[in-house]
Amino acid sequence: MDNKSGMTIIVKTITRITVPIIILYGCYIIFHGHLTPGGGFAGGVIIALALLNVMIAFGREFTNNWLNINFLEKLESISATLFLILGILGFLISSVFLFNFLSHGELFRLLSAGTIPVLNIIIGIKVAMSLFLVVWVLAGLKLDKGEEL
Amino acid sequence: MILYLLCFTLLLVGLYGILTKRDLIKIILSASIMGYATNLLLILFAYRNGSIFPILRKGVETMPMVDPLPQALVLTSIVIELGTTALLVALALKLFQKYKTYDITKIRKLSG
Repeated sequence: MDNKSGMTIIVKTITRITVPIIILYGCYIIFHGHLTPGGGFAGGVIIALALLNVMIAFGREFTNNWLNINFLEKLESISATLFLILGILGFLISSVFLFNFLSHGELFRLLSAGTIPVLNIIIGIKVAMSLFLVVWVLAGLKLDKGEEL
Repeated sequence: MILYLLCFTLLLVGLYGILTKRDLIKIILSASIMGYATNLLLILFAYRNGSIFPILRKGVETMPMVDPLPQALVLTSIVIELGTTALLVALALKLFQKYKTYDITKIRKLSG
């Protein structure tokens, strides 16, 4: 990590410590989406911001090597397709789109509420990937230092 | 009532920024402020005095809850706002690549 891209060594070290914790917190928010405030969208935003933290601290080139961007793009499309498949499965089972066809379980348990945790996880992946990829694409635009026309 | 008026004032702040500022980045920020004002208005419609958030918790008696429907609407609205902001930023960056400036009074030429 002795390349010139990115910010100073202090920022890089702090980022290396904090980013796994931020991603863990985002996963917690996603998995407890049906019990506590939060859910797929909020947790996905937290995970995307952790990845963007890496991109700001280490630079875009490092992020390209660290993450498989093609895989992330495929993951985004796959999660949207999975959401649609779950909705159509509910439609086939009881003629209502997105019907909650799994067992509802006990109240206040982690494994409860049927398909809602599954949908939360899918939405979390979708939001995290799309939010990260939007800023990643915008950061790739080449901007020369502007001089007045 | 005063809260709704303050919310409308926030919308007017955003409108003022869009109409008077010359920097493209400031215009994008003003558009975001207008979006925040509409989100705040929707959340204020759902508010009931002395009620809690609409989530069941273990060991807590049911109390009057705020209306959860506008909150779900606002979540969608935030996502749409993100999309429009990303589109505006992309257009602003493309304009900067072409004209080397964010000042809209200097972006005059149609081509070249």
